[in-house]
Amino acid sequence: MSVENEGYLTIEELKAAGQYPSGARFQEGPVAVIECVQEIPCNPCETACRFGAIRVGEPITNLPKADEGKCTGCGLCVARCPGLAIFIVDKTYGEGLGAVSFPYEYFPLPSEGDEVTAVDRAGRGVCAGTVVKILAPESFDRTPVVTVAVPVGKAEDVRGIERAGQAGGQS
Amino acid sequence: MAQNKWEVVVVGGGPAGLSAAIEAAKSGCRTLVVDANETAGGQLFKQIHKFFGSSAHRAGVRGIDIGGELLAECEKQGVEVWLNSVAIGLFKEKTVAVERGFDNGAKSVVVLEADRIVLASGASENAVRFRGWTLPGVMGAGAAQTMINVNRVLPGKNVLMIGSGNVGLIVSYQLMQAGADVKALVEAAPKIGGYAVHASKIARAGVPIHTGHTVLEARGDRRVEEADICAVDEKWQPLLETKKTLAVDTVTIAAGLKPLVELAMMHDCQMMFHPVLGGWAPLHDAKMETTSPGIYVAGDISGVEEANTALEEGKLAGISAAESLGKIGEADADRIRSEIWGRLDGLRLGPHGVMRMQAKSEQIDHYKSAQSA
Amino acid sequence: MNEHRDDDVLICRCEEVTLGEIREAIQNGARTVTGVKRRTRAGMGLCQGRTCERLVQQILRAELGNAPEEIGTSTVRPPVRPVSFGSLVGDEGGKL
Repeated sequence: MSVENEGYLTIEELKAAGQYPSGARFQEGPVAVIECVQEIPCNPCETACRFGAIRVGEPITNLPKADEGKCTGCGLCVARCPGLAIFIVDKTYGEGLGAVSFPYEYFPLPSEGDEVTAVDRAGRGVCAGTVVKILAPESFDRTPVVTVAVPVGKAEDVRGIERAGQAGGQS
Repeated sequence: MAQNKWEVVVVGGGPAGLSAAIEAAKSGCRTLVVDANETAGGQLFKQIHKFFGSSAHRAGVRGIDIGGELLAECEKQGVEVWLNSVAIGLFKEKTVAVERGFDNGAKSVVVLEADRIVLASGASENAVRFRGWTLPGVMGAGAAQTMINVNRVLPGKNVLMIGSGNVGLIVSYQLMQAGADVKALVEAAPKIGGYAVHASKIARAGVPIHTGHTVLEARGDRRVEEADICAVDEKWQPLLETKKTLAVDTVTIAAGLKPLVELAMMHDCQMMFHPVLGGWAPLHDAKMETTSPGIYVAGDISGVEEANTALEEGKLAGISAAESLGKIGEADADRIRSEIWGRLDGLRLGPHGVMRMQAKSEQIDHYKSAQSA
Repeated sequence: MNEHRDDDVLICRCEEVTLGEIREAIQNGARTVTGVKRRTRAGMGLCQGRTCERLVQQILRAELGNAPEEIGTSTVRPPVRPVSFGSLVGDEGGKL
């Protein structure tokens, strides 16, 4: 798996792990994409979800299973995951636009309205994006969640943005 | 010197030592923690990330916050903590020589008598040899983490990280949080050693991870200015024709940790070498007692693992020390221990955990055969 | 003697012992960490081998192929950390 060699997952690997939302679910609106494919002892995502949409169970090394029917895409799990491995993807954000929400623990935080370079799982710049929302309530415990609007065709690839002052991503 | 007699002396105030002390004091033991640093908490105060684990034991809480909770609990339970104080010797009859630091900066060696001793001295970082490894700018990843997260000093702007275990991955991430760029991470093994989620975090931040690669040399005039990396073959030999030079001012080494076992060796605790546990570590039983009666171990000294296992091992040692002093009944102690072991077993599952679970059970098996010999 | 490309790399920085000197000690019969220490002073400095012991063990293993149990560790003696004479002899808070 490329995650074991290069450190990032491919969509194929995610689909093979059985965690990836269906195409139909993406068309219904925002949904959590849990990118956690390795059995590690961890389960805060399970209690983070108010809708019972994430199940880990016992032992706590089980991979989280998301119930895409129960998931509302609310994003409460995003800041709770210690591995920063949960994203909210909304392919219905607007005309030709998708939105991706991700945890962002770097300074300085971007501002709403900023034009940014959106990067994929490998850190490669894939398109321009606009920061549309930043949530950092106390309950997120210093893990702000940033939402960036990108062309809808890139919403499944985008997983972050270039940091301010970053000396260029991988190309 | 009556004030230097204690029921339980804990050496090292990290997660293991503090949780041992809390449990011992809670059961009514007069307990002292001796810690070499200016604040107790061990490495917790540089763990600014959220911990894994189960919601039942503080998963999702940052290490710094767990450190604060432990210190508050120590105070509440009446644990005495000596800071800037180094245990320099451990002698028969369970006496501990401590170079005690005072608030005015003065130091003086005192000898403590202890009914029970918990050694929770942690681990030290492994060095890696390559040409230029002694240049300023080459440092342990843990040292770099202390600089950025405790001392708030950036060791450099452009970093080469050696090693892809969780320390290498997490410190790479935190170096970027502190404002540095991590130019590359090299790992000699064919696969990334640490958790995939940690690797993914730095991959999407643009850090190239080169598995099957090593560092050849660091160069510079009085400090690191550049470093060469190259691929290795299946026998770990460098393939010089693949050499690449990176402009970096810092090389951080995350090549694993080894248990800090000097005090246990000094008390003739029997040791066992286990590569999964970081090398030589004292044998112990399921109560964390070593082959020297009354000497307990907990945390990385008993085999390098993680903060969450150290917290649980500390509790085992603290409860068991209290039990052996008659402060808590056997039935209660057994019940608490079995709860702790349940959590420990849970933390030692999955592809990263089972090897440690296996190694720890070998340690306990060896303890049993050493005791019956 | 087989000249190695990296013989001049420092291994024990406290006592300034090179990789070549440690290899020479092994050729001269050192088989353990203590054997290397007695011949070269590697591990006898301020840090008492906390940094180089692992490197010396790796070199012994690479040169001889022996098991960790044969290579062993340094002998531990108090004080395990550097201590000033002042604090050893002084009263509480005493200084030389």
